[in-house]
Amino acid sequence: MESTIKINAEREGNYSVLKESFHNAPYKLTHYGSPRAQKHLEMIIMSASPGIMDGDILTIDVNVKEDVHFKLFTQSFNKLHPMKNGAYQNTHMKLSPRSMLHYVPHPVTPFKDAIFYANSRIDMATDATLIWGDIIAAGRIYMDEAFQFEKLHSRTEIFREGKLILTDNQCLMPKVQPIQKLLFFESYTHQATFMYSGPWAKAMKAEFDEILSGEYEDIAFGFTYAAENTLLLRALGNDGELLYNFLSMLGQMCWEFTLHEQAKLKELLAHTSEVDKAERQVLADSPTEAPVKVKKGRIKKQPAA
Amino acid sequence: MNPLLTLLQINDSVFPIGSFTHSYGLETYIHKRIVHDVESTRSYAETMLKHNVYYNDAAFFLRAWEICSGKFSMRKLIELDTLVSSLKSPYEIREASRKLAIRFLKVVESFKSIRRGKAYLEAIQTGEAGGHYAIAFAMYAQYQQISFEDALSAFYYNTLNGIVTNCAKLVPISQTEGQKILFSMQDLIKDLVSTQKDMEESMLGNCCIAQDLRCMQHEKLYTRIYIS
Repeated sequence: MESTIKINAEREGNYSVLKESFHNAPYKLTHYGSPRAQKHLEMIIMSASPGIMDGDILTIDVNVKEDVHFKLFTQSFNKLHPMKNGAYQNTHMKLSPRSMLHYVPHPVTPFKDAIFYANSRIDMATDATLIWGDIIAAGRIYMDEAFQFEKLHSRTEIFREGKLILTDNQCLMPKVQPIQKLLFFESYTHQATFMYSGPWAKAMKAEFDEILSGEYEDIAFGFTYAAENTLLLRALGNDGELLYNFLSMLGQMCWEFTLHEQAKLKELLAHTSEVDKAERQVLADSPTEAPVKVKKGRIKKQPAA
Repeated sequence: MNPLLTLLQINDSVFPIGSFTHSYGLETYIHKRIVHDVESTRSYAETMLKHNVYYNDAAFFLRAWEICSGKFSMRKLIELDTLVSSLKSPYEIREASRKLAIRFLKVVESFKSIRRGKAYLEAIQTGEAGGHYAIAFAMYAQYQQISFEDALSAFYYNTLNGIVTNCAKLVPISQTEGQKILFSMQDLIKDLVSTQKDMEESMLGNCCIAQDLRCMQHEKLYTRIYIS
């Protein structure tokens, strides 16, 4: 089944609002709570289908316009059913200047024999901010279906002002890879990737250095300055819900940090323009000599001395 | 110039480009006792070659070789360089590749200047390119008329040699056991080299998540002997 979800978010005064959107079965796009309960926009993608079936093709197209703050949620774990040919999900997100997008979907759970290809491309303006998450489970662990899927290929590319800055290419094929061993999942059953890309990524990295200095028993994680203005965190764990909460918590932290920094920058710019204005005023008020009038006309050549 | 001797020289572990200062995340594995004996060293080395190097540095090596063997295009090389930078997400791994590339290019430049090597070095220094060792090595080996199979085999061998040497120092395992691992993986390297060109394009830069994670954790290790 071919499905599309299109979202267009714009700024209206102090509010980020949904302008145009489109979705078809089995998907549904609705406001996450009351539309104007907060200044930013919150939407949730819901699905009437029990999951992704063989041959499904989903296209997600999100356009986040200038100054828009947008949080996009998912309803539940993305279940990938047994397949013969595979299903596709193509995501394109465009982030205009000063916009911010928060997208940390629920974990993907591939059932036995699932084949899934997820391609994501994010085009960002220099001062736009992306908060992105991606969690993959080994399968229905309690159904004894860990790593029974056929193939899961997820590729995410981030472009800033048209230049490719980050590619995350992960192809999981449990039948040909030592997937439960070292280099892959080690002995864990879930993996997560978190990205924060934007003007304050370096500052946020310093915050992470402080906040995430300890080690946890349930999850293993590491983070790095992955590309210019991009912070990347990878984690392994045994509980999808826990990783989802962990990533959501980090996402919220990055979201608030960005809001704070954006407000600070705005204040600074307003202050600078006020100072400029005042300076111009002072200059205009100060008594100056009458401007010298220059008569237009031909300049006579002075006779050579 | 003699291609064999040139290959032996540029692939030597003591070629002064600082490759011995990097462990590419291995130090974290040893620190956390994930790699702790001969068997885990062997398993780590084999998985690294088969599932990481094959889709990453060796595949970048092949792409660079192809660009250099046909009608050389600096634009294509920079494009490849940008892609490689975007794929090497752990900071220390990206920096290791960059530092080794710069030093490698500087040393071979001192032998006899070659135009494309000089252009690549300049692009790295001006920030136009990130700089990657696999690209620089392939470029020079191709120019020196070393055969593709020999050059790529040597490249794999050197990566494996680095792993084994580091394990001999850190795990530790005995030098003899280390050499036995090196010798036993000849068939694997042969297979990888012979199938390198058949690798699916979509697999280029395939990431092994725990490897990435351990490389990132290396930035925070309390005691560090290696830079990466």
